[in-house]
Amino acid sequence: MIVDMSIAVGGVRLRGPVMAASGTFGYGTEVPLLERRAVGAMVSKGIFLRPREGTPPPRIAETPSGMLNAIGLQGPGADALVRDYAPKWATWDFPVLVNINGESAAEYGELTARLDGVPGIAGFEINISCPNVEQGGLYFGNDPRAAAAVTEAVRRRTKLPVWVKLTPMVGDIGVIARAVEGAGADALCAINTFVGMSIDLNAYKPRLSFRTGGLSGPAIRPLAVHLAHQAARAVRIPVVGIGGISRAEDALEFLVAGCSAVQVGTATFVNPCAIAEVHDGIESFLHARGFKSLADLPRHLPRD
Amino acid sequence: MFVLGMRAPEIAASVRAGQFVNLGWAGGPLLRRPFSVYRAEGDVIEVVLKAVGVGTAQLLSMEPGDIVSCLGPLGRGFEISGSHVALISGGLGVAPMPLAARDAIAAGARVTWIHGARTADELCAEADGDEVVWATDDGSRGFHGTAVAAAPDVDLVLACGPNRMLAAAAERWPDAQVAVETYMGCGTGVCLGCAVPLARGGYDRACKEGPVYRAADIKWSMLPANLHYVA
Repeated sequence: MIVDMSIAVGGVRLRGPVMAASGTFGYGTEVPLLERRAVGAMVSKGIFLRPREGTPPPRIAETPSGMLNAIGLQGPGADALVRDYAPKWATWDFPVLVNINGESAAEYGELTARLDGVPGIAGFEINISCPNVEQGGLYFGNDPRAAAAVTEAVRRRTKLPVWVKLTPMVGDIGVIARAVEGAGADALCAINTFVGMSIDLNAYKPRLSFRTGGLSGPAIRPLAVHLAHQAARAVRIPVVGIGGISRAEDALEFLVAGCSAVQVGTATFVNPCAIAEVHDGIESFLHARGFKSLADLPRHLPRD
Repeated sequence: MFVLGMRAPEIAASVRAGQFVNLGWAGGPLLRRPFSVYRAEGDVIEVVLKAVGVGTAQLLSMEPGDIVSCLGPLGRGFEISGSHVALISGGLGVAPMPLAARDAIAAGARVTWIHGARTADELCAEADGDEVVWATDDGSRGFHGTAVAAAPDVDLVLACGPNRMLAAAAERWPDAQVAVETYMGCGTGVCLGCAVPLARGGYDRACKEGPVYRAADIKWSMLPANLHYVA
Protein backbone atom coordinates (compact mmCIF):
# COMPACT_ATOMS: atom_id res chain seq x y z
CA MET A 1 0.00 0.00 0.00
CA ILE A 2 1.66 3.20 -1.13
CA VAL A 3 -0.32 6.32 -0.38
CA ASP A 4 1.49 9.61 0.10
CA MET A 5 0.15 10.73 3.46
CA SER A 6 2.31 13.84 3.76
CA ILE A 7 0.75 17.27 3.80
CA ALA A 8 1.72 20.87 4.46
CA VAL A 9 -0.40 22.73 6.98
CA GLY A 10 0.08 26.40 7.73
CA GLY A 11 3.82 26.36 7.11
CA VAL A 12 4.50 23.00 8.75
CA ARG A 13 5.37 19.93 6.68
CA LEU A 14 3.78 16.80 8.16
CA ARG A 15 4.49 13.17 7.31
CA GLY A 16 0.84 12.41 8.01
CA PRO A 17 -2.33 14.32 8.82
CA VAL A 18 -2.84 13.02 12.37
CA MET A 19 -1.38 15.08 15.20
CA ALA A 20 -1.38 14.80 18.96
CA ALA A 21 -3.65 17.43 20.51
CA SER A 22 -2.36 19.70 23.23
CA GLY A 23 -2.72 18.35 26.74
CA THR A 24 -3.19 14.76 25.65
CA PHE A 25 0.40 13.80 24.87
CA GLY A 26 2.13 15.74 27.67
CA TYR A 27 5.50 16.92 26.43
CA GLY A 28 5.85 13.68 24.51
CA THR A 29 8.48 12.39 26.90
CA GLU A 30 6.33 10.77 29.56
CA VAL A 31 5.34 7.45 28.16
CA PRO A 32 7.21 4.87 26.13
CA LEU A 33 3.81 3.24 25.65
CA LEU A 34 2.65 6.02 23.34
CA GLU A 35 2.97 4.90 19.74
CA ARG A 36 4.84 7.60 17.81
CA ARG A 37 5.37 5.90 14.46
CA ALA A 38 2.65 7.82 12.66
CA VAL A 39 2.49 11.03 14.67
CA GLY A 40 2.26 13.87 12.14
CA ALA A 41 3.14 16.47 14.76
CA MET A 42 2.73 16.98 18.46
CA VAL A 43 1.22 20.03 20.08
CA SER A 44 2.71 20.18 23.55
CA LYS A 45 0.76 20.72 26.75
CA GLY A 46 -0.31 24.36 27.03
CA ILE A 47 2.32 26.55 28.62
CA PHE A 48 2.39 29.96 30.26
CA LEU A 49 5.44 32.17 30.59
CA ARG A 50 5.61 31.34 34.30
CA PRO A 51 4.96 28.05 36.14
CA ARG A 52 1.36 27.30 37.08
CA GLU A 53 0.06 24.94 39.73
CA GLY A 54 -3.22 24.06 38.08
CA THR A 55 -6.57 23.46 39.76
CA PRO A 56 -7.29 21.35 42.87
CA PRO A 57 -8.75 17.86 42.44
CA PRO A 58 -11.11 16.49 41.29
CA ARG A 59 -9.95 17.62 37.86
CA ILE A 60 -11.72 15.13 35.63
CA ALA A 61 -15.13 13.51 35.46
CA GLU A 62 -16.40 11.02 32.93
CA THR A 63 -19.70 11.83 31.25
CA PRO A 64 -21.62 9.91 28.59
CA SER A 65 -19.14 9.28 25.73
CA GLY A 66 -16.94 12.08 26.99
CA MET A 67 -15.00 13.59 29.81
CA LEU A 68 -14.88 16.93 31.56
CA ASN A 69 -11.51 18.29 32.55
CA ALA A 70 -10.33 21.29 34.48
CA ILE A 71 -6.58 20.91 34.78
CA GLY A 72 -6.01 24.66 34.80
CA LEU A 73 -2.98 24.56 32.51
CA GLN A 74 -0.64 23.17 35.12
CA GLY A 75 2.86 23.56 33.76
CA PRO A 76 6.49 24.33 34.51
CA GLY A 77 6.74 27.62 32.59
CA ALA A 78 8.72 28.64 29.53
CA ASP A 79 12.23 28.38 30.99
CA ALA A 80 11.74 24.77 32.08
CA LEU A 81 10.18 23.91 28.73
CA VAL A 82 13.20 25.32 26.89
CA ARG A 83 15.62 23.57 29.24
CA ASP A 84 13.96 20.17 29.75
CA TYR A 85 11.89 19.40 26.67
CA ALA A 86 12.89 21.39 23.58
CA PRO A 87 16.34 19.73 23.31
CA LYS A 88 14.60 16.34 23.14
CA TRP A 89 12.12 17.56 20.53
CA ALA A 90 14.99 18.78 18.37
CA THR A 91 16.06 15.16 17.85
CA TRP A 92 12.61 13.80 16.94
CA ASP A 93 11.38 12.83 13.50
CA PHE A 94 8.16 14.87 13.75
CA PRO A 95 7.67 18.59 14.46
CA VAL A 96 6.52 19.93 17.82
CA LEU A 97 4.34 22.99 18.13
CA VAL A 98 3.99 24.68 21.49
CA ASN A 99 0.53 25.59 22.76
CA ILE A 100 0.98 29.07 24.21
CA ASN A 101 -1.13 30.90 26.77
CA GLY A 102 -1.24 34.27 28.45
CA GLU A 103 -3.34 36.61 30.53
CA SER A 104 -2.84 39.51 28.13
CA ALA A 105 -1.84 40.02 24.51
CA ALA A 106 1.48 41.39 25.74
CA GLU A 107 2.13 38.21 27.77
CA TYR A 108 1.43 36.03 24.72
CA GLY A 109 3.96 38.15 22.83
CA GLU A 110 6.55 37.89 25.58
CA LEU A 111 6.16 34.11 25.73
CA THR A 112 6.53 33.87 21.95
CA ALA A 113 9.72 35.92 22.04
CA ARG A 114 11.11 33.62 24.74
CA LEU A 115 10.41 30.49 22.66
CA ASP A 116 11.13 31.80 19.17
CA GLY A 117 14.25 30.31 17.65
CA VAL A 118 14.67 27.63 20.30
CA PRO A 119 15.77 24.43 18.51
CA GLY A 120 13.02 21.82 18.74
CA ILE A 121 10.14 24.30 18.50
CA ALA A 122 8.62 24.19 15.02
CA GLY A 123 5.73 26.59 15.57
CA PHE A 124 3.06 27.87 17.88
CA GLU A 125 -0.55 27.05 18.57
CA ILE A 126 -2.14 30.04 20.27
CA ASN A 127 -4.64 28.93 22.87
CA ILE A 128 -7.43 31.48 22.99
CA SER A 129 -9.90 28.88 24.07
CA CYS A 130 -9.00 27.31 27.40
CA PRO A 131 -12.14 27.25 29.56
CA ASN A 132 -10.22 26.51 32.76
CA VAL A 133 -8.25 29.64 33.55
CA GLU A 134 -9.61 32.65 35.38
CA GLN A 135 -7.72 35.17 33.28
CA GLY A 136 -7.37 35.03 29.52
CA GLY A 137 -8.34 31.80 27.83
CA LEU A 138 -11.89 32.00 26.61
CA TYR A 139 -12.00 35.77 26.93
CA PHE A 140 -9.67 36.13 23.95
CA GLY A 141 -11.46 33.42 22.03
CA ASN A 142 -14.94 34.89 21.80
CA ASP A 143 -14.13 38.47 20.98
CA PRO A 144 -12.85 39.01 17.43
CA ARG A 145 -10.80 42.09 18.35
CA ALA A 146 -9.16 40.41 21.34
CA ALA A 147 -8.49 37.28 19.29
CA ALA A 148 -6.87 39.36 16.56
CA ALA A 149 -4.83 41.35 19.08
CA VAL A 150 -3.37 38.17 20.60
CA THR A 151 -2.64 36.74 17.16
CA GLU A 152 -0.87 39.96 16.11
CA ALA A 153 1.14 40.05 19.33
CA VAL A 154 2.43 36.54 18.60
CA ARG A 155 2.83 37.14 14.86
CA ARG A 156 5.07 40.16 15.46
CA ARG A 157 7.49 38.09 17.57
CA THR A 158 8.08 35.11 15.31
CA LYS A 159 8.50 33.98 11.73
CA LEU A 160 7.60 30.42 12.70
CA PRO A 161 4.16 29.07 11.81
CA VAL A 162 1.39 30.46 14.02
CA TRP A 163 -1.79 28.47 14.43
CA VAL A 164 -4.77 29.61 16.49
CA LYS A 165 -6.93 27.15 18.44
CA LEU A 166 -10.52 28.33 18.48
CA THR A 167 -13.19 27.87 21.09
CA PRO A 168 -16.57 26.43 20.19
CA MET A 169 -18.21 28.74 22.74
CA VAL A 170 -19.01 31.47 20.23
CA GLY A 171 -22.04 32.67 18.31
CA ASP A 172 -20.34 32.57 14.91
CA ILE A 173 -16.99 30.82 14.65
CA GLY A 174 -16.52 32.31 11.17
CA VAL A 175 -16.21 35.80 12.65
CA ILE A 176 -13.36 34.76 14.95
CA ALA A 177 -11.78 32.66 12.22
CA ARG A 178 -11.66 35.62 9.81
CA ALA A 179 -10.37 37.94 12.53
CA VAL A 180 -7.35 35.78 13.34
CA GLU A 181 -6.72 35.05 9.67
CA GLY A 182 -6.58 38.79 9.10
CA ALA A 183 -4.17 39.13 12.02
CA GLY A 184 -1.67 36.81 10.38
CA ALA A 185 -2.49 33.27 11.50
CA ASP A 186 -1.11 30.52 9.26
CA ALA A 187 -3.74 27.96 10.25
CA LEU A 188 -6.69 27.45 12.58
CA CYS A 189 -7.40 24.57 14.90
CA ALA A 190 -11.08 23.91 15.44
CA ILE A 191 -12.12 23.26 18.09
CA ASN A 192 -11.12 23.27 21.76
CA THR A 193 -13.41 21.77 24.42
CA PHE A 194 -16.96 22.86 25.15
CA VAL A 195 -17.66 24.26 28.61
CA GLY A 196 -19.67 21.76 30.61
CA MET A 197 -20.76 20.91 34.12
CA SER A 198 -21.65 17.73 35.95
CA ILE A 199 -23.13 17.57 39.42
CA ASP A 200 -22.57 15.03 42.18
CA LEU A 201 -26.01 14.53 43.69
CA ASN A 202 -24.63 12.91 46.85
CA ALA A 203 -22.31 15.80 47.63
CA TYR A 204 -24.71 18.38 46.19
CA LYS A 205 -21.92 20.13 44.34
CA PRO A 206 -20.18 20.08 40.97
CA ARG A 207 -18.03 17.00 40.30
CA LEU A 208 -15.07 19.20 39.38
CA SER A 209 -13.49 21.48 41.95
CA PHE A 210 -13.32 24.23 39.30
CA ARG A 211 -17.11 23.71 38.98
CA THR A 212 -17.00 23.71 35.17
CA GLY A 213 -14.68 21.95 32.78
CA GLY A 214 -13.95 21.34 29.13
CA LEU A 215 -15.96 18.55 27.51
CA SER A 216 -14.06 16.33 25.08
CA GLY A 217 -14.44 12.90 23.56
CA PRO A 218 -16.86 11.30 21.10
CA ALA A 219 -19.76 13.20 22.69
CA ILE A 220 -18.66 16.43 20.98
CA ARG A 221 -17.70 15.06 17.56
CA PRO A 222 -20.74 16.08 15.48
CA LEU A 223 -20.62 19.54 17.05
CA ALA A 224 -16.91 19.77 16.27
CA VAL A 225 -17.29 18.61 12.66
CA HIS A 226 -19.91 21.28 12.11
CA LEU A 227 -17.80 24.06 13.65
CA ALA A 228 -14.63 22.99 11.83
CA HIS A 229 -16.64 22.97 8.61
CA GLN A 230 -17.95 26.47 9.30
CA ALA A 231 -14.44 27.71 10.11
CA ALA A 232 -13.03 26.13 6.95
CA ARG A 233 -15.66 27.82 4.82
CA ALA A 234 -14.90 31.20 6.41
CA VAL A 235 -11.16 31.38 5.69
CA ARG A 236 -8.52 30.57 3.07
CA ILE A 237 -5.90 29.32 5.54
CA PRO A 238 -5.93 25.62 6.47
CA VAL A 239 -8.08 24.33 9.31
CA VAL A 240 -7.02 21.50 11.60
CA GLY A 241 -10.03 19.52 12.82
CA ILE A 242 -10.27 18.51 16.47
CA GLY A 243 -13.02 17.01 18.57
CA GLY A 244 -13.78 13.46 19.57
CA ILE A 245 -11.69 11.67 16.96
CA SER A 246 -10.90 8.09 17.92
CA ARG A 247 -11.12 6.22 14.61
CA ALA A 248 -10.07 6.89 11.01
CA GLU A 249 -13.68 7.42 9.96
CA ASP A 250 -13.99 10.21 12.51
CA ALA A 251 -10.88 11.93 11.14
CA LEU A 252 -12.09 11.51 7.57
CA GLU A 253 -15.31 13.33 8.44
CA PHE A 254 -13.26 16.37 9.41
CA LEU A 255 -11.13 16.11 6.27
CA VAL A 256 -14.12 15.83 3.99
CA ALA A 257 -15.74 18.72 5.85
CA GLY A 258 -12.84 20.90 4.73
CA CYS A 259 -10.00 20.33 7.20
CA SER A 260 -6.41 19.81 6.07
CA ALA A 261 -5.40 17.67 9.01
CA VAL A 262 -6.66 16.56 12.41
CA GLN A 263 -5.62 16.27 16.02
CA VAL A 264 -6.43 13.29 18.21
CA GLY A 265 -6.80 14.00 21.92
CA THR A 266 -8.94 12.19 24.45
CA ALA A 267 -8.69 8.95 22.46
CA THR A 268 -4.98 8.77 23.31
CA PHE A 269 -5.87 8.55 27.01
CA VAL A 270 -7.80 5.38 26.31
CA ASN A 271 -5.64 3.93 23.56
CA PRO A 272 -1.96 4.90 23.43
CA CYS A 273 -1.89 3.72 19.79
CA ALA A 274 -4.89 5.81 18.72
CA ILE A 275 -2.92 8.21 16.50
CA ALA A 276 -1.21 5.39 14.61
CA GLU A 277 -4.49 3.54 14.16
CA VAL A 278 -6.26 6.64 12.84
CA HIS A 279 -3.35 7.29 10.46
CA ASP A 280 -3.37 3.71 9.17
CA GLY A 281 -7.14 3.74 8.76
CA ILE A 282 -7.02 6.91 6.66
CA GLU A 283 -4.34 5.36 4.51
CA SER A 284 -6.45 2.22 3.98
CA PHE A 285 -9.47 4.33 3.12
CA LEU A 286 -7.53 6.31 0.53
CA HIS A 287 -5.96 3.19 -0.92
CA ALA A 288 -9.29 1.37 -1.19
CA ARG A 289 -10.71 4.30 -3.16
CA GLY A 290 -7.75 4.53 -5.50
CA PHE A 291 -6.22 7.75 -4.17
CA LYS A 292 -2.45 7.97 -4.59
CA SER A 293 -2.10 10.68 -2.01
CA LEU A 294 -3.97 12.38 0.79
CA ALA A 295 -3.80 15.60 -1.21
CA ASP A 296 -6.06 13.98 -3.84
CA LEU A 297 -8.94 13.53 -1.39
CA PRO A 298 -11.59 16.16 -2.16
CA ARG A 299 -11.84 18.16 1.02
CA HIS A 300 -15.15 19.85 0.52
CA LEU A 301 -18.75 18.81 0.53
CA PRO A 302 -20.81 19.12 -2.64
CA ARG A 303 -23.14 22.09 -2.56
CA ASP A 304 -26.76 21.24 -1.99
CA MET B 1 -15.84 -8.26 46.84
CA PHE B 2 -14.96 -10.10 43.64
CA VAL B 3 -11.66 -11.24 42.22
CA LEU B 4 -11.04 -11.08 38.48
CA GLY B 5 -8.08 -12.96 36.97
CA MET B 6 -6.41 -12.06 33.70
CA ARG B 7 -3.68 -13.79 31.74
CA ALA B 8 -0.99 -11.11 31.46
CA PRO B 9 2.42 -12.81 31.68
CA GLU B 10 4.62 -9.71 31.30
CA ILE B 11 2.71 -7.80 33.95
CA ALA B 12 2.56 -10.80 36.28
CA ALA B 13 6.32 -11.18 36.07
CA SER B 14 7.20 -7.57 36.72
CA VAL B 15 4.46 -6.02 38.89
CA ARG B 16 5.40 -4.65 42.30
CA ALA B 17 3.11 -4.28 45.28
CA GLY B 18 1.15 -1.02 45.01
CA GLN B 19 1.35 -0.77 41.23
CA PHE B 20 -1.82 -0.81 39.18
CA VAL B 21 -3.23 -1.71 35.79
CA ASN B 22 -5.61 0.45 33.76
CA LEU B 23 -8.37 -1.65 32.25
CA GLY B 24 -10.53 -1.01 29.22
CA TRP B 25 -13.05 -3.31 27.61
CA ALA B 26 -15.41 -3.36 24.65
CA GLY B 27 -18.72 -1.70 25.50
CA GLY B 28 -17.26 -0.29 28.69
CA PRO B 29 -16.92 3.31 29.85
CA LEU B 30 -14.93 5.77 27.72
CA LEU B 31 -11.97 6.01 30.08
CA ARG B 32 -10.03 3.06 31.43
CA ARG B 33 -10.45 2.16 35.09
CA PRO B 34 -7.46 1.74 37.39
CA PHE B 35 -7.13 -1.33 39.62
CA SER B 36 -4.31 -2.23 42.01
CA VAL B 37 -2.87 -5.62 41.23
CA TYR B 38 -4.12 -7.96 43.93
CA ARG B 39 -2.13 -11.10 43.24
CA ALA B 40 0.27 -12.25 40.56
CA GLU B 41 0.97 -15.91 40.07
CA GLY B 42 2.48 -17.53 37.00
CA ASP B 43 0.94 -15.86 33.96
CA VAL B 44 -2.09 -14.50 35.80
CA ILE B 45 -2.77 -11.24 37.58
CA GLU B 46 -5.82 -10.59 39.71
CA VAL B 47 -7.71 -7.44 40.63
CA VAL B 48 -10.50 -6.98 43.16
CA LEU B 49 -13.70 -5.10 42.60
CA LYS B 50 -17.07 -4.34 44.09
CA ALA B 51 -20.22 -4.27 41.99
CA VAL B 52 -20.83 -0.54 42.19
CA GLY B 53 -21.91 0.44 38.70
CA VAL B 54 -22.50 -0.50 35.10
CA GLY B 55 -18.79 -0.87 34.33
CA THR B 56 -18.02 -3.22 37.18
CA ALA B 57 -21.14 -5.22 36.35
CA GLN B 58 -19.80 -5.62 32.81
CA LEU B 59 -16.46 -6.84 34.15
CA LEU B 60 -18.19 -9.29 36.48
CA SER B 61 -20.30 -10.75 33.69
CA MET B 62 -17.24 -11.67 31.63
CA GLU B 63 -16.62 -15.27 30.71
CA PRO B 64 -13.32 -17.12 30.55
CA GLY B 65 -11.66 -16.21 27.25
CA ASP B 66 -13.11 -12.70 27.08
CA ILE B 67 -10.59 -9.97 26.34
CA VAL B 68 -9.74 -7.00 28.50
CA SER B 69 -7.21 -4.38 27.45
CA CYS B 70 -4.77 -4.16 30.31
CA LEU B 71 -2.20 -1.34 30.48
CA GLY B 72 0.49 -1.79 33.08
CA PRO B 73 2.12 -2.20 35.44
CA LEU B 74 1.71 1.51 36.12
CA GLY B 75 2.80 3.83 38.91
CA ARG B 76 5.30 3.50 41.70
CA GLY B 77 4.73 0.80 44.29
CA PHE B 78 5.69 0.31 47.94
CA GLU B 79 9.32 0.35 49.07
CA ILE B 80 9.53 -2.45 51.59
CA SER B 81 12.10 -2.55 54.39
CA GLY B 82 12.28 -3.21 58.14
CA SER B 83 11.78 -6.25 60.30
CA HIS B 84 8.10 -5.76 61.20
CA VAL B 85 5.66 -4.45 58.60
CA ALA B 86 2.01 -3.57 59.21
CA LEU B 87 -0.44 -3.67 56.30
CA ILE B 88 -3.50 -1.55 56.96
CA SER B 89 -6.40 -1.92 54.58
CA GLY B 90 -9.85 -0.40 54.55
CA GLY B 91 -12.58 -1.82 52.32
CA LEU B 92 -11.26 -2.32 48.79
CA GLY B 93 -7.90 -1.06 50.06
CA VAL B 94 -7.03 -4.73 50.48
CA ALA B 95 -6.14 -4.65 46.80
CA PRO B 96 -2.36 -4.08 46.97
CA MET B 97 -1.83 -5.98 50.24
CA PRO B 98 -1.32 -9.62 49.19
CA LEU B 99 1.62 -8.54 47.00
CA ALA B 100 2.90 -6.32 49.82
CA ALA B 101 2.72 -9.30 52.20
CA ARG B 102 4.50 -11.48 49.65
CA ASP B 103 7.33 -8.99 49.22
CA ALA B 104 7.65 -8.25 52.95
CA ILE B 105 7.79 -11.94 53.81
CA ALA B 106 10.34 -12.48 51.05
CA ALA B 107 12.42 -9.69 52.60
CA GLY B 108 12.35 -11.54 55.92
CA ALA B 109 9.95 -9.20 57.73
CA ARG B 110 7.24 -10.14 60.20
CA VAL B 111 3.88 -9.10 58.71
CA THR B 112 0.80 -7.94 60.60
CA TRP B 113 -2.25 -7.30 58.44
CA ILE B 114 -5.02 -5.11 59.85
CA HIS B 115 -8.26 -5.36 57.90
CA GLY B 116 -10.86 -2.66 58.42
CA ALA B 117 -14.38 -2.22 57.13
CA ARG B 118 -17.65 -0.66 58.22
CA THR B 119 -19.22 -4.02 59.08
CA ALA B 120 -18.23 -7.68 59.22
CA ASP B 121 -20.10 -8.24 55.92
CA GLU B 122 -17.81 -5.81 54.12
CA LEU B 123 -14.59 -7.29 55.48
CA CYS B 124 -12.35 -9.04 53.04
CA ALA B 125 -12.21 -12.73 54.00
CA GLU B 126 -8.69 -13.31 52.73
CA ALA B 127 -5.62 -12.76 54.82
CA ASP B 128 -1.93 -13.29 54.66
CA GLY B 129 0.99 -12.68 56.99
CA ASP B 130 2.01 -13.80 60.47
CA GLU B 131 -0.76 -12.07 62.31
CA VAL B 132 -4.19 -10.81 61.24
CA VAL B 133 -6.27 -8.19 63.05
CA TRP B 134 -9.88 -7.49 62.12
CA ALA B 135 -11.51 -4.12 62.80
CA THR B 136 -15.06 -2.97 62.12
CA ASP B 137 -16.61 0.45 62.64
CA ASP B 138 -19.72 -1.15 64.18
CA GLY B 139 -17.84 -3.76 66.23
CA SER B 140 -19.50 -6.66 64.42
CA ARG B 141 -16.13 -8.39 64.08
CA GLY B 142 -12.82 -7.97 65.86
CA PHE B 143 -11.66 -4.58 67.11
CA HIS B 144 -14.50 -2.05 67.50
CA GLY B 145 -13.10 0.98 65.65
CA THR B 146 -10.92 1.87 62.76
CA ALA B 147 -8.08 -0.18 61.30
CA VAL B 148 -5.71 2.69 62.03
CA ALA B 149 -6.65 2.60 65.74
CA ALA B 150 -6.30 -1.19 65.82
CA ALA B 151 -2.77 -1.25 64.39
CA PRO B 152 0.36 -1.80 66.43
CA ASP B 153 3.40 0.44 66.11
CA VAL B 154 5.91 -1.21 63.80
CA ASP B 155 8.92 -0.36 61.63
CA LEU B 156 6.93 0.26 58.49
CA VAL B 157 3.25 0.92 57.87
CA LEU B 158 1.74 0.38 54.42
CA ALA B 159 -1.85 1.57 54.07
CA CYS B 160 -4.53 1.60 51.41
CA GLY B 161 -8.20 2.51 51.67
CA PRO B 162 -10.50 5.52 51.61
CA ASN B 163 -8.57 8.78 51.69
CA ARG B 164 -10.02 9.73 55.06
CA MET B 165 -8.55 6.55 56.54
CA LEU B 166 -5.19 7.37 54.97
CA ALA B 167 -5.36 10.90 56.40
CA ALA B 168 -5.82 9.34 59.86
CA ALA B 169 -2.85 7.06 59.20
CA ALA B 170 -0.79 10.11 58.23
CA GLU B 171 -1.55 11.70 61.61
CA ARG B 172 -0.26 8.68 63.47
CA TRP B 173 2.61 7.62 61.19
CA PRO B 174 3.96 10.47 59.02
CA ASP B 175 6.38 8.03 57.39
CA ALA B 176 3.75 5.46 56.47
CA GLN B 177 3.53 4.61 52.79
CA VAL B 178 0.00 5.09 51.56
CA ALA B 179 -1.57 4.19 48.21
CA VAL B 180 -4.05 6.97 47.41
CA GLU B 181 -7.26 6.85 45.44
CA THR B 182 -7.92 9.46 42.74
CA TYR B 183 -9.98 9.80 39.62
CA MET B 184 -7.75 8.91 36.75
CA GLY B 185 -7.70 9.74 33.06
CA CYS B 186 -4.89 8.20 31.07
CA GLY B 187 -2.92 6.41 33.81
CA THR B 188 0.28 7.17 31.91
CA GLY B 189 1.20 10.67 33.11
CA VAL B 190 0.00 12.87 30.29
CA CYS B 191 -3.46 14.14 31.23
CA LEU B 192 -2.68 15.50 34.74
CA GLY B 193 -6.18 14.47 35.79
CA CYS B 194 -5.09 12.45 38.83
CA ALA B 195 -3.54 15.42 40.65
CA VAL B 196 -2.43 14.75 44.22
CA PRO B 197 -2.03 17.92 46.34
CA LEU B 198 1.33 18.00 48.10
CA ALA B 199 2.15 19.38 51.54
CA ARG B 200 5.02 21.39 50.04
CA GLY B 201 2.63 22.96 47.52
CA GLY B 202 1.62 22.07 44.00
CA TYR B 203 0.47 18.76 42.64
CA ASP B 204 1.86 15.66 41.12
CA ARG B 205 0.38 12.65 39.44
CA ALA B 206 -1.00 9.61 41.24
CA CYS B 207 -0.35 7.55 38.11
CA LYS B 208 3.36 8.44 37.82
CA GLU B 209 4.89 9.72 41.06
CA GLY B 210 2.24 7.74 43.00
CA PRO B 211 -0.05 6.08 43.76
CA VAL B 212 2.17 5.32 46.77
CA TYR B 213 3.27 8.34 48.80
CA ARG B 214 4.91 9.08 52.12
CA ALA B 215 1.81 9.90 54.18
CA ALA B 216 3.03 13.28 55.46
CA ASP B 217 3.84 14.47 51.91
CA ILE B 218 0.18 14.76 50.97
CA LYS B 219 -2.02 17.75 51.71
CA TRP B 220 -4.95 15.65 52.88
CA SER B 221 -7.41 18.53 53.31
CA MET B 222 -7.36 19.06 49.54
CA LEU B 223 -7.78 15.44 48.49
CA PRO B 224 -11.38 14.30 48.03
CA ALA B 225 -12.24 12.09 51.03
CA ASN B 226 -13.84 9.41 48.91
CA LEU B 227 -14.70 8.91 45.28
CA HIS B 228 -17.98 8.20 43.59
CA TYR B 229 -17.45 6.22 40.44
CA VAL B 230 -20.23 6.16 37.92
CA ALA B 231 -18.84 2.89 36.61
